Amino acid sequence: MKLFLRRVRSVASKEYKHILRDPFTLVVALVLPLVFVGMFGFVIDLDYKHMRLYVRDNDQTSVSRRFLQEVSSSGYFDQIPLHSPAQADAALQKNNTPAVLIIKPGFGRYVKSGDPASPGQLQLLTDGTDNVQASIIQIYMRGIVEATTALFAGEDAPAASSRIRTRFLFNPELSSRWFIVPALSTVIIGLLAIMLTALTVAKEWENGSMELLLSTPVRPTEIILGKLIPYFLLSLFDVLVVFVLALTVFRIPFEGSFLLYMVACAIYVTGALALGLVISVVTRQQQAAIQFAFAVGLLPSFIFSGFIFPIENMPLFFQYFTALFPQRWFLLISRTLFLSDAGLAPLAPAFWGIGLFAAGMITLAVFKFKTDVEP
Amino acid sequence: MPALGVRVENVTKQLGHTTALCQVSTVFEPGLVHGIVGPNGAGKTTLMRVLTGLLHPTQGRVEYYDQAGPVSPAQAKYAEGYFPQEPSLYPDLSCREHLEFFRDLYDLNQADYEPRMQELFEATGMSAFTERPAGKLSGGMYKKLGLMCVLLNRPRLLLLDEPTVGVDPVSRQELWDLVYGFAGQNTTVVLTTSYMDEAQRCAKVHVLDGGHLKAAASPQELMRRFNVTQFADIFLKP
Repeated sequence: MKLFLRRVRSVASKEYKHILRDPFTLVVALVLPLVFVGMFGFVIDLDYKHMRLYVRDNDQTSVSRRFLQEVSSSGYFDQIPLHSPAQADAALQKNNTPAVLIIKPGFGRYVKSGDPASPGQLQLLTDGTDNVQASIIQIYMRGIVEATTALFAGEDAPAASSRIRTRFLFNPELSSRWFIVPALSTVIIGLLAIMLTALTVAKEWENGSMELLLSTPVRPTEIILGKLIPYFLLSLFDVLVVFVLALTVFRIPFEGSFLLYMVACAIYVTGALALGLVISVVTRQQQAAIQFAFAVGLLPSFIFSGFIFPIENMPLFFQYFTALFPQRWFLLISRTLFLSDAGLAPLAPAFWGIGLFAAGMITLAVFKFKTDVEP
Repeated sequence: MPALGVRVENVTKQLGHTTALCQVSTVFEPGLVHGIVGPNGAGKTTLMRVLTGLLHPTQGRVEYYDQAGPVSPAQAKYAEGYFPQEPSLYPDLSCREHLEFFRDLYDLNQADYEPRMQELFEATGMSAFTERPAGKLSGGMYKKLGLMCVLLNRPRLLLLDEPTVGVDPVSRQELWDLVYGFAGQNTTVVLTTSYMDEAQRCAKVHVLDGGHLKAAASPQELMRRFNVTQFADIFLKP
């Protein structure tokens, strides 16, 4: 055991020196997380606000004006008034017109009377080439119409009694930043941990140093553990950087157990590092290793984790398929612990998911690690 | 600890569609300096890797032994030192860091390590370069550092693949002095070389060509057997 630990420490110490002396590794490990946080935290915003709305008010009543006031104060739309039918046509012919709203005569009368026999109409024309935005405009507009109708109809209106009063738990303002930033660790580790370790063994093969190393009595488990430890610490450091930035710069609350979160990070990082080693051991070439690392690190982080696309909306097969990827489980843990005070029990399946993946990858790395130079 | 010998019996090594070694049988007697010579592609490096255990024979077997009897491959692994042909040191690690790394891999205690390290630095004339990174060493010093790493364990079987390739004549001489200094009762040296003058310095030469062992004997015996006056001419004979 003493000899085992000595060799592991020796390989780890060597790897630590390589990291410190290699500018590329340092930049990737220390700067890339900041780039990711900046890119996703500041640039990507899934909230649809201040969408341009061309408006033609053919009703010109106090009700239609109040309605347009409601539209403005919602914050979702920036109104651009249209003064003639020709302007409306011109707006529609532009490629960058998200929506045109035409208030037809009689709108105010209908809203005030609530008479279904003479309905006042609104016409909403949306750009269907962006179906997501078009749907969101429609939903927002429906909400504003309902609110305005209720305002003028008063408490006697039957519609008012059946309105849904909604509260959004854990993310009251449905901020997309609260949704994205806690998930960033998943992407950053998914990419960094896998990429850095994918390079480390492949580099030794390409440099020829693996041949020298394998001719000594050092064992595969000693090499693997020795190589994992420095990258494990480096990845945890990256996790902490993202965590601190999330709390301080983006003001995301952290409601769960920090200890539980770090345990989950440690398990997830171990699995990702071991996957990188498997890639490295199998490919033995840095270029191939980095391509594999991108494929298995980045794509599942974005597509199969629920980072952007909801898993519940995927076909049934892919909902089960995503269970193979630890990114899905860690993302669930991360978002849950950031935004709610959930304990271990509701997260147990997710912990099993990342734990089994990590155990499987370590076993595979040890199994696939060759102690010879056979092709 | 006595020097280790190796017995190679009918070893064939297939690498993909290529037969790198074909029915090779020879003996590397303990305590001698053995040279494996042959043109490029003769199978020298493959034989060397088979001797280190980094390649496994497709057919045939390799046996290690010393004066007490057979030695298992696992025991031989602890007793051998191998320096490959290709650059295989870490360019960013200094000479001292390399030796410390190998000290731990070979599980040497500090009391043994200190005098050996001093001895090796003095023997190689590299005492002034302990902190220089391997990537900034000259060709000759680089090879000397590699040799120091494997000699640190006092190997009973020292395997060197083309140790003098890319090395200037002065450094070549120094490397040879170093190898001869360690060879003897406690160490068997096996090296590959393409230089015929170097082969002539070996006690026994194993001549490989196209994966076949053409002969194995002392340089003088080989010249007599091939009926040549220059050692290099043995490859010109049909």
